[in-house]
Amino acid sequence: MDGANIPLDEHRIVEKPYYLAQGSEVEIACAAYRSGLPLLLKGPTGCGKTRFMQYLAWKLDRPLITVSCHDDLSTSDLVGRYLIRAGEAVWMDGPLTLAVRAGAICYLDEVVEARKDTTVVIHPLADDRRELPIEKRGELLIAPPEFMLAVSYNPGYQSVLKDLKPSTRQRFVALSFNYPELEQEVDIVCQEGGLERDLALSLVKLAVMTRNLKDSGLPEGASTRLLIQAGKLIGDGVDIQTACRVAVVEPLSDDPEMLAAVEDMVGSIF
Amino acid sequence: MNFPDLNKQFYHLVAPDIPNDWEVEELLEPYLDQSDEVCQEVFKCIPAIWPISSSLCCDFLRIMPETLKILPLSQLSTWVGEILDRYELDGLRAAQRLMRNVESGYMNRSNAGLVLLGEVEGRLLTFIRGVAGRDLFIAPGNAVFTDTETIFLPPELAVFSASADNVLLYKLILAFQWAYIANGSFTLPDPVTQEPLVDSESSLWLNTFFASFSQPLFARDCYFFLETVRAARFLEQELPGLMRAWAKLPCFVLPGVEDKNISPQAAFLSDLQLRFLNGSLLEASREEPLPLLKDYWHRLLGEGVNGMDTVAAVKAICAAHAPHEAEGEEYEGITPLLFQGEIRLSAVEAVHRQRFLRQGEELVHSLALHLASLPKEQLEQLLRSEEEKENGATGLESDVTMIMDSEFAGTAAEPQAPLLITINNEEVRLGEEVAEQVRQFHDEFGHLPGRFLSSAVGRAGKGLAPDAHPGPEQGEELQAPICYDEWDHRRKGFRKNWCMVTIKELPDLRSGFIRQTLGKYHGVVNRLRHQFEMMRTSDRFARRQRDGDDIDLDALVESLADGRAGLPSSDRLFIKLLRDERDIAVVFLIDMSNSTAGWVGNAIKESLVLMTEALEVLGDRYAIYGFSGMRRTRCELFRIKEFGEPYGERVRERIGAISPMEYTRMGPAIRHATSLLAKTDARVRLLITLSDGKPEDYDDYKGEYAIEDTRHALLEAKMAGIHPFCITIDHQAHDYMDHLYGPVNYIFVNDVRKLPMRMPEIYRVLTT
Repeated sequence: MDGANIPLDEHRIVEKPYYLAQGSEVEIACAAYRSGLPLLLKGPTGCGKTRFMQYLAWKLDRPLITVSCHDDLSTSDLVGRYLIRAGEAVWMDGPLTLAVRAGAICYLDEVVEARKDTTVVIHPLADDRRELPIEKRGELLIAPPEFMLAVSYNPGYQSVLKDLKPSTRQRFVALSFNYPELEQEVDIVCQEGGLERDLALSLVKLAVMTRNLKDSGLPEGASTRLLIQAGKLIGDGVDIQTACRVAVVEPLSDDPEMLAAVEDMVGSIF
Repeated sequence: MNFPDLNKQFYHLVAPDIPNDWEVEELLEPYLDQSDEVCQEVFKCIPAIWPISSSLCCDFLRIMPETLKILPLSQLSTWVGEILDRYELDGLRAAQRLMRNVESGYMNRSNAGLVLLGEVEGRLLTFIRGVAGRDLFIAPGNAVFTDTETIFLPPELAVFSASADNVLLYKLILAFQWAYIANGSFTLPDPVTQEPLVDSESSLWLNTFFASFSQPLFARDCYFFLETVRAARFLEQELPGLMRAWAKLPCFVLPGVEDKNISPQAAFLSDLQLRFLNGSLLEASREEPLPLLKDYWHRLLGEGVNGMDTVAAVKAICAAHAPHEAEGEEYEGITPLLFQGEIRLSAVEAVHRQRFLRQGEELVHSLALHLASLPKEQLEQLLRSEEEKENGATGLESDVTMIMDSEFAGTAAEPQAPLLITINNEEVRLGEEVAEQVRQFHDEFGHLPGRFLSSAVGRAGKGLAPDAHPGPEQGEELQAPICYDEWDHRRKGFRKNWCMVTIKELPDLRSGFIRQTLGKYHGVVNRLRHQFEMMRTSDRFARRQRDGDDIDLDALVESLADGRAGLPSSDRLFIKLLRDERDIAVVFLIDMSNSTAGWVGNAIKESLVLMTEALEVLGDRYAIYGFSGMRRTRCELFRIKEFGEPYGERVRERIGAISPMEYTRMGPAIRHATSLLAKTDARVRLLITLSDGKPEDYDDYKGEYAIEDTRHALLEAKMAGIHPFCITIDHQAHDYMDHLYGPVNYIFVNDVRKLPMRMPEIYRVLTT
């Protein structure tokens, strides 16, 4: 199978995704793209890393191939493997190879979840060589200038076991993401959740309160994504308290005491 | 029951104490008339109370015959539990009071929506920390107030008949106290100097302000009330839901307004309070404003009201309500609203002072570090000028000038960190971190005392090498004692902070023990190493998988052949590389009680040696602690090897140094090991206890009590996701073991000579 008939159209982002820049990350990412540098996005869950990648792919007009990493992800899952079909061994490109061939953006989400030996495969792609050796086929793919590699991870809950090796880290242009500033987050929740500004502000206040609980047993507070989801439920006619409970409170924790406290916050705000 | 029986039973229960005969007689006399059942129930409580306070127990026995006329027998144990909790919180007197007031103190509120702070504390604490965004604390207190770091709450609330309403009241109290803190109600700065404290370390400006009136108390109450209105206004914006819920609550009963003979000032404030509670204060005053407060209301309804507006309003009120001396009436004070609590400036001051000292100490430390890193000449120059200063009489403190960057770049709204500090005319450029620290300190406390710099210079001069750590000596304490609760099965509750655990280091002892053991078990060690090597994290190929890294040629050929032969061909054609990661952390707790002297102790040590040899091959994380001690105030844990410490000569020597010490108080040791394991992130966490029998200590930690506490500690460990496992060395198995450890969680070794061989085996089975 060659680059020509790779089904990439479904990876193209046609409509402009909504993204509100928190700083100069878009300009930096574009500059990195022009210079052929890989990106490392770090930040808590649901703060807009994936959305940022979608926006970037749209802006650069490249297909976006996302791989969600997990601890069973092997090198072959990324690069490709032989499959047996009708008694014949057929080579099948993995997502990474696919992206390199087609000059797409390959986004490895939660890269620390993958085992360390798996992540090593991106090393030659992530430095100035920009090449991907496919051992099994004896092939060396050179990435076209359009290809871009991006990885993300969440420094919040990574354990000592799940850390990026320095040799992996030190190949990337790193962009740090966090929850947006209050005003911006209100804008985002308004826009994406389709809410009145006042209600969005209250939701954001609730999120800020949960984020204050870092030292009280809640490692990560409510993300912008949760707020948007709550907003959508409210927009669909679910009553505010219920929407907050199912979309914000319950997803945060299983600890009954913590749940009661966050529920108290909901009750106090709305 | 007859007297000799009662008497005998009583002495049995309070043993080993021997109370006076005549006292006992007096205590027990009323029980002669009681039914057997009553006597048994009452006597059941004695073992729970007597060890905690014998005088409380005597009191208990004295009043019980009367009390039982009111209190149902079934509620006796809950009631006793509550009394004991009160004893530990507030002391004997408070417990006795609670005991005497069984009617009002316990019965009346037993079903009426009572909420105990202890039950909701965790939830409230999380709530207020989230809302406030800072680490506030909650503590039970005799009144509602805050010192700006801790909010004191009543230990129980039963104002409303529904418990949900009482919880809401707790939240309301918290919200108001937080509002005072957030609004800076207690730390209003001096309008002239802009500093909250008059002379930086002692008195709040508000004290001075109140004292400037002829009726300081009235001024204070006015101020506090108006600040409460401001807080309510603040909360309406921040927590509208809570305020709406408050409005729906049944009305408070205002305390003490019926009294007609109150001073006009008190009447004025009471009236305001009433209106405030009815929610009509702001609304009504919009139409018909109180002339005195017209301006204030106006400011309050607008934006940007602050404490100085309240100060102005208080001045106006006090001017209008100046006391008529001729009438000689005295403002007697009013009862504050429940959620309003009390204003305790002295507590605020104390906290402020503590923060000042603490942060000052930190600042001096980092300044000294910074100064020490300066070029030698400059430091010497500083030291010289400091010396001159001390000898001369020019002043006690160093002169300090801070040159703020703000003169060049920053604005007033955005304070900049000082770049230069001038100490005795010597300019010192600060590093970024120190500068930030100086700025924060300056922001909070208004100034930077010169003596801080003097002592920083002094410390820098003495050579700031961190205090040379003296090598650990015999049983040296490694850190401050840690307190753990202990489970008292008789009252089904914890004794709070009951045991003090000290971590000590075993002395390094050069002995031939390890060498001898390794020599003795030479063959065994080699075999163990081999065995454990096989268990090590290893990559292995799994054949015939549905998907995998490579094609399994054997399977493929087979499958093709099957296909040709018309058989269904398998789709398991791949080889997969499997990695079985061992992610295990284990703590070994070694019983070092004196009963292990001799063979048992030796066997334990030998098995530890073999175990560590095997574990080193395996690569699991492990820690070894020995435990012993005497009484609850001296539970000792001996650190033999901690997590992450390499297995070297020191660890070997410490294993060699394990020797029988005192008693076996297992609960605290297990609790500490649990806390250690809880900190690790291993997927499997094991707690292996090696002991030679029952838990036992010198005091009343014996028999059932000790077993129940140990059992509870093990349960706590299980709840924390830890697998406890106990290896017991004894001549015969006992019934209590099943109960103590759970049927599958212990192993019993009766031949101590087998232990060294058994232990690695046990571990191997446990972790595969």
